Amino acid sequence: MSATHQHGDVEPIEGKYVHVEIEGVDHRIYVEENGPADGVPLLCQHTAGNNCQEWRHLLADEELTDRFRIIAHDLPYHGKSVPPTTGEWWTEDYTMTAKRFAETLVSLADALELEDPIYMGSSMGGNICLELADWYPDRFRALIGLECGAHSPGFYIDWLDHPQVNTTEVNAYACWGLMAPQSPEQARRETMYLYEQGANGVFKGDLYYYSVDHDYRDKLDQVNAAECPLYVVNGEYDYLTTPEDGRQTAEGIGEGAVAVEMAEIGHFPMSEHPELFNAYIAEILADVTGDREETLPEVMTPEDVGIELHPPAPAREKPAD
Amino acid sequence: MNEPEFASHEWWEAYKETVNSDPEMAVRGHDRFDENFYLDIGDERVLIEVEGGRIESIVPNPTLNHQWSFGVEGDREAWEEFVRETPPAFNHEIIASHYRSAVRNEDGHLRLTGDNEKIFGNLRAFQRTLDLMRVAHNDGGS
Repeated sequence: MSATHQHGDVEPIEGKYVHVEIEGVDHRIYVEENGPADGVPLLCQHTAGNNCQEWRHLLADEELTDRFRIIAHDLPYHGKSVPPTTGEWWTEDYTMTAKRFAETLVSLADALELEDPIYMGSSMGGNICLELADWYPDRFRALIGLECGAHSPGFYIDWLDHPQVNTTEVNAYACWGLMAPQSPEQARRETMYLYEQGANGVFKGDLYYYSVDHDYRDKLDQVNAAECPLYVVNGEYDYLTTPEDGRQTAEGIGEGAVAVEMAEIGHFPMSEHPELFNAYIAEILADVTGDREETLPEVMTPEDVGIELHPPAPAREKPAD
Repeated sequence: MNEPEFASHEWWEAYKETVNSDPEMAVRGHDRFDENFYLDIGDERVLIEVEGGRIESIVPNPTLNHQWSFGVEGDREAWEEFVRETPPAFNHEIIASHYRSAVRNEDGHLRLTGDNEKIFGNLRAFQRTLDLMRVAHNDGGS
């Protein structure tokens, strides 16, 4: 990740729109990508109520995009993917379900003609790895579930779509503590800024999937990680799906599932601390592609991946003079 | 300079100063934050009276003559973790800490009480006010 840019620098990330049929309806989906056309496809899913800009630092990672064709999309109703132009969507609450979410991802991979893609997503994008390995184990080469668990109750909250609440700000800052205090404030604030761009009711609608429809507590044996390797990679400060939840999920799945804890990071690793996340995920990706000889550790620390936290403790926020 | 003991009179005075000089409390509508709230630190209750995004007064042991909209309850150890410069996971922010109490039924965390509509109606200003306890604690509010 380059921290600074010169005037005139152009990031080689390209955007385009692809038409994808979901539940029999045409959707115009925005995707950004970077990396060689014949690189290993890596499809990246944003978190609930957010958009593909969360992945901008991974998309700009020169080393990873040397080998991987990194693709990040906006789900319908998010970012630049407008609602379908057929149907009166404004007469109903937007509600995401497990079935629709999984079908969207598979249909998008088909529309982009991705061969043996790796799928990676965070939060709702992490949880859906269980449905994908259950329902479509032959479609992906591997699944990387960031902030993934069998069950993540309690975040389908009415106040996130309420006329007496400034949901622009609340939908963001309800997530403030999902990030680690060690993560750079600039990156944490940008993550909140991205949250503030969500359309009315969409974050809450996504959380219907996240906190209500997704519940694998009694059916982890259906998750076919033996056919499609599954990595459960949770951050230390993620209070919704903790590293311990991740370990229990991987243990419940059994063969093919691995849990790795990322120390000193939270629930939005790719956007809250891109430098640390890109270093962590390079290790996971090397395991997927067989380029890593040792087994992945149970806990990865900044020191393990050669990242010095700067400043070493979180910057003391000085009160104004 | 010796830093004042957490939640002592001097500490609260420094905290008030920290909140009232914080740039974020004056922008994005946070200067409309007008709800009083209490903090239970173990057995001790303190009322924070707020007007226009500023702390007007800090009242120990509030009575029936006082008014508040919501509060945060927790044992002293949870609060001491909360104000640490690098707070440990799950006591590092109010929603995080409340979630571990209210949804996951764990001990040792903070818990929100009171009018949820007013909590969410003022969420960021309230959350920032609490986060500034950490700033005050580690800077002495000066």
